[in-house]
Amino acid sequence: MTFKSKLGGALLAAAMSATALSGAFAADDTIKIGVLHSLSGTMAISETTLKDAMLMLVEEQNKKGGVLGKKLEAVVVDPASDWPLFAEKARQLISQDKVAAVFGCWTSSSRKSVLPVFEELNSILFYPVQYEGEESSRNIFYTGAAPNQQAIPAVDYLAATEGVERWVLAGTDYVYPQTTNKILKAYLMSKGVKEEDIMINYTPFGHSDWQTIVSDIKKFGSAGKKTAVVSTINGDANVPFYKELGNQGIKAEDIPVVAFSVGEEELAGLDTKPLVGHLAAWNYFQSVDAPVNAEFIKSWHAYTKNDNRVTNDPMEAAYIGFNAWVKAVEAAGTTETDKVLDSIIGVSVPNLSGGTSTVMPNHHITKPVLIGEIQADGQFDIVQETAAVVGDEWSDYLPDSKDLISDWRKPMECGNFNVATGKCGGKGS
Amino acid sequence: MISAFIFRALKGHIVVTVAVILAFAVLVPASNLLLAPDHALHIPTYVMSLMGKYLCYALLALALDLVWGYCGILSLGHGAFFALGGYAMGMYLMRQIGSRGVYGNADLPDFMVFLNWKELPWFWYGFDMFPFAMLMVLFVPGLLAFVFGWFAFRSRVNGVYLSIITQAMTYALMLAFFRNDMGFGGNNGLTDYKEIVGFSVQGGGTRAVLFAMSALMLALCLLIASAIVNSKFGKVLVGVRDAESRVRFLGFRVENIKLFTFVVSAMFAGIAGALFVPQVGIINPGEFAPANSIEVVVWTAVGGRGTLIGPIIGAVLVNAGKSYFTGAFPELWLFALGGLFIAVTLFLPKGIVGTIQSGFTGRKAMRAAADAEKGRGDVTAVAQAAE
Amino acid sequence: MLIRFITLIFLILASAAPSFAQAPDPKPLFNQLADADFNAAEKLVGQIATTGDTRVVPALNAFAEGDLYFRKSDKAVFAAKPAGAQLELIDPVTGESAGQVAKGAVTKIRINNNLRRAIRAALGGLTLMSPDRGTRLSAADAILRSPSAEALDLVEAALAKETDATVKARMEEARAVSLLSSDRSIDDKRAAIATIGKLGGRDALGILNAVSSSIDASLKPDLDAAITAIQNEQQLWDMAQNVWYGLSLGSVLLLAAIGLAITFGVMGIINMAHGEMVMLGAYSTFVVQQVIRENAPGLFDWSLTIALPVAFLVTGAVGLVIERGVIRFLYGRPLETLLATWGISLILQQSIRTIFGPTNQEVGNPSWMSGSFPVGGMTITWNRMWIVVFSLSIFVGLLLLMKRSAFGLQMRAVTQNRRMASSMGIKTPWVDAFTFALGSGIAGIAGVALSQIDNVSPNLGQSYIIDSFMVVVFGGVGNLWGTLVGALSLGILNKFLEPSVGAVLGKILVLVLIILFIQKRPRGLFALKGRAIEA
Repeated sequence: MTFKSKLGGALLAAAMSATALSGAFAADDTIKIGVLHSLSGTMAISETTLKDAMLMLVEEQNKKGGVLGKKLEAVVVDPASDWPLFAEKARQLISQDKVAAVFGCWTSSSRKSVLPVFEELNSILFYPVQYEGEESSRNIFYTGAAPNQQAIPAVDYLAATEGVERWVLAGTDYVYPQTTNKILKAYLMSKGVKEEDIMINYTPFGHSDWQTIVSDIKKFGSAGKKTAVVSTINGDANVPFYKELGNQGIKAEDIPVVAFSVGEEELAGLDTKPLVGHLAAWNYFQSVDAPVNAEFIKSWHAYTKNDNRVTNDPMEAAYIGFNAWVKAVEAAGTTETDKVLDSIIGVSVPNLSGGTSTVMPNHHITKPVLIGEIQADGQFDIVQETAAVVGDEWSDYLPDSKDLISDWRKPMECGNFNVATGKCGGKGS
Repeated sequence: MISAFIFRALKGHIVVTVAVILAFAVLVPASNLLLAPDHALHIPTYVMSLMGKYLCYALLALALDLVWGYCGILSLGHGAFFALGGYAMGMYLMRQIGSRGVYGNADLPDFMVFLNWKELPWFWYGFDMFPFAMLMVLFVPGLLAFVFGWFAFRSRVNGVYLSIITQAMTYALMLAFFRNDMGFGGNNGLTDYKEIVGFSVQGGGTRAVLFAMSALMLALCLLIASAIVNSKFGKVLVGVRDAESRVRFLGFRVENIKLFTFVVSAMFAGIAGALFVPQVGIINPGEFAPANSIEVVVWTAVGGRGTLIGPIIGAVLVNAGKSYFTGAFPELWLFALGGLFIAVTLFLPKGIVGTIQSGFTGRKAMRAAADAEKGRGDVTAVAQAAE
Repeated sequence: MLIRFITLIFLILASAAPSFAQAPDPKPLFNQLADADFNAAEKLVGQIATTGDTRVVPALNAFAEGDLYFRKSDKAVFAAKPAGAQLELIDPVTGESAGQVAKGAVTKIRINNNLRRAIRAALGGLTLMSPDRGTRLSAADAILRSPSAEALDLVEAALAKETDATVKARMEEARAVSLLSSDRSIDDKRAAIATIGKLGGRDALGILNAVSSSIDASLKPDLDAAITAIQNEQQLWDMAQNVWYGLSLGSVLLLAAIGLAITFGVMGIINMAHGEMVMLGAYSTFVVQQVIRENAPGLFDWSLTIALPVAFLVTGAVGLVIERGVIRFLYGRPLETLLATWGISLILQQSIRTIFGPTNQEVGNPSWMSGSFPVGGMTITWNRMWIVVFSLSIFVGLLLLMKRSAFGLQMRAVTQNRRMASSMGIKTPWVDAFTFALGSGIAGIAGVALSQIDNVSPNLGQSYIIDSFMVVVFGGVGNLWGTLVGALSLGILNKFLEPSVGAVLGKILVLVLIILFIQKRPRGLFALKGRAIEA
């Protein structure tokens, strides 16, 4: 029966290895923070950069003496672009490694996957990517843009400056584009755009054959009205999309494309000469002319030992989130979640576009909206910059969320307060 | 007759495995709930839900082993059945949220509210009832397997062709579930569950029960699978695997045999998915990804196909390795996994358990042969051991 | 570049002509650009254009390219071109060099799409009388694309002098579109509508639609008739265009699948690392282009030609190593090759990620792969065109190799009956190895072509692997013709489904159709006959 006992042993060993893997040897003189970004799988292409940015921020903070007199220690894990694994890794970071806060996630799916974990174990997540809104958690800070900090100003710019009257809303078929396009459609129609002047088109993830869609856009654009494309096409699919645009001769002067998911990093894989003049809306561009940005780029190049590495908007969001957390911890004098949650609201930290960003009671932040035109060198030329805008978690243009607000200060402490009924908890039917 | 059926399942090593699994089902939750957190033998909740996840994967691998190891159908789409079971459970859990969603809409899940759905689509009806949802956990994957298998086995699609179209099936389902218009929450999937049959999904007790349930279902499915493969039917099954045409010429309806096994296996996978979802807290179309299904094949191969126990061990080992590597050496994980695949196929073609078993039976055969030479053993022992 | 050169010559000629001497000096207008916002700049460009001074053409071109700067010290505006680490300043009017300055001493004058449009129109007006035929043609084109009533007089003046038939026809069209937005007589406009109607195409449709709301009621029937005529014609072309898109998608599928048709179709290895071979080919292209960019930028247009053999050798060698190291132990166990090659694919992906990083790499299009050309009412892009040609030639080449060469004969012999082939003196292990290397090498050169239309990232292969298997299985394993027909018909099917049901549902439907088709014909479109395949 040796074989059978070996089997039992193997099962046991497997279980034990799961226990042993935690490897948390918490030294008392460090504060741990978690970095939860995919380093393999489909999202590694975007998220690896953010992991590097976080490690750089930690290193710099430690050079300045750390936080509360202790050194910071980054715990990096790889959720491998697998959404359930995000939840598992978040749980591991919080309950095994006892991190004080986690910086991570990219897609909404990953954030939705970890949200219950953060609420259950009462920890803090800083989420650095633009997203569709419609969420406000007590334990999450959204330092990327909400739709009103990106989409709506971009559409305003096109309508005002370029006189666009006809709109193609093209996106990848997932929640962010669907929601953003719903908001934009409602917004455009409230501005008097007719339904027949809006074309909505969705494509699968990683779509690479854009011939039909680009020619549809051309067709839609030949109705005699100035036409623009609002693109919520997701990362990877953008390169073939822009290549097809360039090759089919759609110039920015004829049909400009404004994108919300295309930044310096995505353009790095492209010859941008045929794309000059197409637009993107973000809260930060590498080309921002501000001393603090120059400083940041310099240390990024030094950290990555590569002068060609670009910076982008989610990196700025991570920068703001990290600095806000540091400031809040120092104000609270502890890394305890509840105290930090109290002290962080209202904290103002410099952002990379030369102003300051404030953490608002709805756990979103204020930041300016920049509209940039793509340049031949893969950078953006900023053609418009607004004053700082407060992130609006519940869109005013969706019927079910227009009455909701979020305020995590006492005494309200509610993520979905209904101003119409005066109750916390959504519609409160 | 039924007792005979069950009795046949009770081969020695199966009994031991079932016992070990049952011991886990009791000891782990007990240690988690009863012992103080600083006790040496205390198992933290985090580790327990991790192990619960492994058990679900183990059940999925067991399901695959039933069709691959015993019937010769290499399904590259078992992840689809797993995910469908998971979605059925997820839909139940979504309906349990009721008016606690962020919009406070008692009738519609949040993702439908903010995409302006006005009423619940018909296929969501009934999922607020636990028994109905549990029925669907079995029925939906079973139905898909039945329809798919009915066509495929009748047309005698087999071998590589079958593998590729099962892959096409799960890929098509993934694309379909990614669509928001399908009404399953698009790429965000179903998440932020509150309670299951009245208990909070985050409560320690619930987690312990879910873990115990996973272990119990694994043990139960292992017994059923063992009973199937050790019955007369099981012998025919192996015949289909090794020489399909001959079995057909002997007068067996091969397609029905395959279909039955395929459907049972799909239901196992559905159960695994249903137990997986409340423990990890999310189900989304990523589970349909063809790569996931291939990984299941790998667990099975690593553990040893056609052994029933092997896939369980393979699934637990590979996933424990994955948890460890993605935490400790994130960059090395794919190298380790890739290397493991190659090493197993080259050096352990029968998998861990298969190799141990053949080594074991080999020694037994040698000993028996030696005994026979000495004139003390009987010839049948040699024949049996060599089988 | 060419246009700039031509305008430079033109400039020299024009500055010699005395008639331009009396025109108002555009120089102060340029200098005002330093302080102007976008709207003011747009007006200034218009004013510069109305001076009629053609010497400003190079400066306006520079402005459109974003190469116009003002000096910080005195706010004087110059065109600039890089000279080493510094910038060489060029007077915007005279075109004389104004010395070199450090980059920090000047500020770029910003430009947006509206300004680009204004500059394009201005340039169109200014170069209509150019002595160079090509310049005049592009000037007429520019006016055609941004019609305005102001350009009308210019066009007519140029038209009176024009002798070249092609240019004249284009100018007639330019005149017609400008006339529509002017206040000329109804009859003139009616003639203009007829001219534009004859022009046809999307642009004409756009122009006609644009005026339809403002035009005189008596012209409305003419206008509507012209619009309907163009639309009807365009509908036919749309069909043709769809077929072309289908062929082009099909050729991409063919490229991706053809290597697999050898490793999987002929050898029976379920080669999950096939996609990674395509990816390695694409990265070889990237490396070749990097080397060329750094050492011999002049050769850039040849980069793909150079990359082809490089990619073939690199991926072929990797394939050889894989076959000798792993796969040769697994013959006769096809399902296990699936596991091993899946493992190999993970390792290759992660290696590339470790070496090159996870982000997309820039693979440039050589000039002959960029842009498009019109065929009747449809546009064909050069890169798609070349990919169709390229994949068909690979197919023909492979077919010849299989059917006409000694190696092809041995390859077929070994796959049909290994032992018999072996006893005839064929070294079967080496035939296996080189067949696999050939399949991998072809995947590699497919990667060179795919790098032109898709992302070059470690995930590149993953996005093609499932489609490739579908194509091979649909076409029939072991049959190259099946792969060809399978790829093209799936491509066309996909493109005909896409407009009616959308890209996402179209793809799902194609998959479902393949599954159903396999039920009907379990061995694909072109099934091999005989008993050998039962094994």
